[in-house]
Amino acid sequence: MPKINSDVRMVTAYRPHMKIIGDILATTKDDLHLDGGASVTYLIRKANVSHTRISKILSNLVSQGLLEQVSSEGTFRYKISSNGREFLVAYQTFSRFAENFGLVI
Amino acid sequence: MEFILENILNLIGFIVGLTIGILSYIGFKNTGSPTLFRLGIAFLSISVGFFVVWTGYMAEDFVLHKGHIEKWVQTLGIGIQTIGYFFIAFSHSIKSFFPKSRYLRSVGMLPLFLVSVIHIEHILRSVSFILLVYGAIETILSYFEGKKKGTIFVAVGLSFLAFGEFLGWYSFVFPESILYYVSISIKITGLISLFIPISKIPLTKIKFDSEFKEG
Repeated sequence: MPKINSDVRMVTAYRPHMKIIGDILATTKDDLHLDGGASVTYLIRKANVSHTRISKILSNLVSQGLLEQVSSEGTFRYKISSNGREFLVAYQTFSRFAENFGLVI
Repeated sequence: MEFILENILNLIGFIVGLTIGILSYIGFKNTGSPTLFRLGIAFLSISVGFFVVWTGYMAEDFVLHKGHIEKWVQTLGIGIQTIGYFFIAFSHSIKSFFPKSRYLRSVGMLPLFLVSVIHIEHILRSVSFILLVYGAIETILSYFEGKKKGTIFVAVGLSFLAFGEFLGWYSFVFPESILYYVSISIKITGLISLFIPISKIPLTKIKFDSEFKEG
């Protein structure tokens, strides 16, 4: 029987939609050295989401005012907005709240 | 003594349930998370259930003076609490608790209409016990994955509530015994244990805002 190492298990573990959004927002917030914003490729690598899925999520986050879309050298880059920061704080707080019940939001 | 203990239990249950329910609802409004929505329904139901039983005891104490709480009020309160326990278990992705076929579901409801109110109370207590045990086991398993101290408090709280429910059911077999008081005391400890991790979460910075919803 083939062994599955812990890294592989982490990658294949199910992540709820909300957690993916949290990961994307956290990436755009934490990587402050990206003054022009994070590129889609960078977010795909950091948040570990497919291109098709991340495109839908990003357009959704932009339309809800949680991310700002910046056009730079023919490509789109994404920066977290002030609303996005507030949402991220709420997300992280209530994540901890739900974790106490053994749940993931 | 029985009335005092019951009043303490039901008031603590009402306050703890209401607090956790409101926090979960605020979380749902801020993040749009369905998990927090289910948790909110669960604890608000538990809160309402305890409140109904408490109202029953208060009505008996100050108005009715029959020497015992109205059975239908107690059954109603326990029934509402059971709905709350169901949603806690449901939050842990309970999948095969009820039969999928519509026919089996309708037949499964029949016993509820065939038995007396007292029997319904016993059934509800048994269902609550099963749901609480399920919730406690799932929470313990989550603790082993995340190793968060708060999770252990919730697991202990649910376990105590389950054990208290079990002893409470057992005290029907041996009425007037010390088991009843032990049952109530264990349930009170369980409710306090549920509240401990929630009281440590810094929620003061969170704004109540319905603008943000899940995409």
